[in-house]
Amino acid sequence: MKKIVSLLLSLAMVLSMCSFASADSLAGTYDIKVWVANEIVDLTKKQIENFNATNDLGIVFNATIEAQGEGDAATAMVTDVDAGGDIYCFAQDQFARLIQAGALAKLGQGAAKTVQEGCDADAVKAVTTSDGTMWAYPLTADNGYFMYYDKTVIPEEDIDSLEKIIADCEAAGKNINFEMQTSAWYLASFFFGTGCVSVWKTDEAGKFTSVTDTFNSDKGLIAVKGMKKLLDSPVHVSSSEIAGFANNAAVVVSGTWASADAKNMLGDNLGVADLPSFEVDGQEYHLGSFFGFKLMGVKPQSDPVKAAALHRLAQYLTGTQCSLERHAERGWGPADLAAKADESVANDPILKAVYEQKNYGVVQDAIHGSWWDTAKVIGDGVKAAATEDDLKAVLQKYEDDIAALFTLDTSALLFVGAWNGWNNADTADTYYLKDGALTLDVPESDYMGGRIVAPGSWDTDKGFAQVTTGAELIKDLGAENPDNNIVFAEAGNYTLTWDGTAITIVRN
Amino acid sequence: MSENTAKRHMGLRASRALSNTLIHVLLVVMSVVWLIPFVCILLQSFRVESTWQVGYVIPQKWGFDNYVNLWNTDFPRWYMNTLITALVTAVLQTVIVLCMSYTLSRFRFKMRQPLMRFMLILGMFPGMLSMIILYRVLKDLGLTQANAVPGLILVYVASSGMGYYVSKGFFDTIPMSLDEAARVDGATRSQVLYKIILPLAKPIVIYTILTAFMGPWGDFVFARYISFGASAGKNVAVGLYDWLSKDQINKSYTLFCAGGVLVALPVTLLFLFLQKYYVEGVTGGAVKG
Repeated sequence: MKKIVSLLLSLAMVLSMCSFASADSLAGTYDIKVWVANEIVDLTKKQIENFNATNDLGIVFNATIEAQGEGDAATAMVTDVDAGGDIYCFAQDQFARLIQAGALAKLGQGAAKTVQEGCDADAVKAVTTSDGTMWAYPLTADNGYFMYYDKTVIPEEDIDSLEKIIADCEAAGKNINFEMQTSAWYLASFFFGTGCVSVWKTDEAGKFTSVTDTFNSDKGLIAVKGMKKLLDSPVHVSSSEIAGFANNAAVVVSGTWASADAKNMLGDNLGVADLPSFEVDGQEYHLGSFFGFKLMGVKPQSDPVKAAALHRLAQYLTGTQCSLERHAERGWGPADLAAKADESVANDPILKAVYEQKNYGVVQDAIHGSWWDTAKVIGDGVKAAATEDDLKAVLQKYEDDIAALFTLDTSALLFVGAWNGWNNADTADTYYLKDGALTLDVPESDYMGGRIVAPGSWDTDKGFAQVTTGAELIKDLGAENPDNNIVFAEAGNYTLTWDGTAITIVRN
Repeated sequence: MSENTAKRHMGLRASRALSNTLIHVLLVVMSVVWLIPFVCILLQSFRVESTWQVGYVIPQKWGFDNYVNLWNTDFPRWYMNTLITALVTAVLQTVIVLCMSYTLSRFRFKMRQPLMRFMLILGMFPGMLSMIILYRVLKDLGLTQANAVPGLILVYVASSGMGYYVSKGFFDTIPMSLDEAARVDGATRSQVLYKIILPLAKPIVIYTILTAFMGPWGDFVFARYISFGASAGKNVAVGLYDWLSKDQINKSYTLFCAGGVLVALPVTLLFLFLQKYYVEGVTGGAVKG
């Protein structure tokens, strides 16, 4: 018996060594799943066949190609990484999410070097994490917005000025579609135009640790003043649908994905340009924009040989030749430098506008998920604002909301109670203790009580028993106060201070 | 008969005419409101001058291009998937439900009451609760993504026994003495079901078939989860939804409408022809629980 076991064991060892030995050669046939956008499914099929025919490593891919929009590739991948595409395309903003889900395989040294040398520098940054590891192949460098316009309404000499465009459209009774009230992505355009920034930092686990945000500043005020001009115009429509051209629009701010449709709708009357400038107090500001890349990722594989072969394919698909084919067929702007320098790409009017706008663009880095909702309400606020003070208030609220994201994250304290419906979540009527202090109006009610807690919790260790100064302002309920609540005797305006051990209450 | 009574009669007739008019106007308005979305989809599906959303309802150019173009997409595949799923489910589920109802209505066995109570409680859990674990099970069986059709059939049919309430209620209203008479004449239990009960319960059979067909035909949530990332396994609802994604809507909007019309067609026809039985089935089964 022992002999048989040892024989089997040694056989297994030999076999496993055999499979290691063959790891040097990538030759073989692999069944793979590839996810790409619907419009390049056929093209990608052809490109993979070309790869099979031309590669000198003996790799043959038996590929199933599925249509999967880049916009929600991460959602689909995260559903079940195991069943997801072996190679898939996604928009840059999903990068961090995919790494966290373990859906991206690192690039080997050779591949990393090729990407480093052959691709747009910003695109290289987009696929690299802070520790210098590369995780994906840049596919396109065209994910930003710019202006499509109707040449019959807006003369060429007017396209650089937002004011003139508004005047032209008002005169012609045509709309300007610029999604200012429902999308932070488009709304940021004005802020970036005046030099505001919103830069978010994450730690290695992908958790947001800090933000440098200058939207609430003099520059930000200039931005919202410019924004107000557009929002106040009766011809402004908050939309980025290219179909707007079929609904009385003369200008639509949108991205390259809409180019084919725009051509279909307007034909020879279609004009394309970078975004215009706006004027505040005699000074011109060119509108900025978000700019991003589309990336191609390889899913981690259990078989190292297959993984290596997949990386070869991904390199091929994002290489010069394939990028040019995608541009020729679908107008996609390559991230590959050699393809970008090609005459056909350099002379493409739409990509010209994209690259022109990229000069004013901000590369979209990791951004806190809540930012999009926090920032998008600025549009409505600005539209409703009547005075400059109102505009300032909108920006102040934005800054407070951003700060609140971190107060919640860094276990700051907040004051819950009858006055805000015992709300200890992160919403507008949450009372945060800034630097340990808080001023609030306590409205008249049957029970004017509450206590200091950590966000999202109901702990009872910071309340009535910790009040050292101002005890005469609150009620001593004794045993009727099991939750250690501070119950005010009268309605009024109070300031509470928490120094870490004791609470001070002062009536204002 | 005095003049006054005659007047009163006229007044009655006039007021009845008035209230009838009002009711009819109200009904017309309501049906217009209900029908508008369907009419819009129908009209848009015949619009051929452009493929994106437009601000008007009546097409400027009419044609069947969208219906023809559907053949060049994955739509026929999705349609077949849905049809197969729905038909197989309809047959299997009907058989199971009717057998179940017959058993619970006519047989008296020890576990009858506990079983019914157990199923009542089980039925209170929302089905979505089991979605993730079902996905895992199906994945291990290899019945997800491109093979979603058998997987979905399995899921739809597996729980069908619990939907016996309406038909059992209907069976309960058929007198026991009929069964007994048949049994005395030498019919077996199954003969009683096929030859006595089912002919009497035609409305409920049709009602069961209809509901069993409708569930899979319109399912979205579960089908989307099971078939994600594989066009070959999608049903029409999931496939059509993908045409509304940002990068496809401008190319596929009218196509989507045409697809929507084709999806609605068989269901509409079924209901038109079987409406009578459907109503009888719903109300008949509700007599006694």
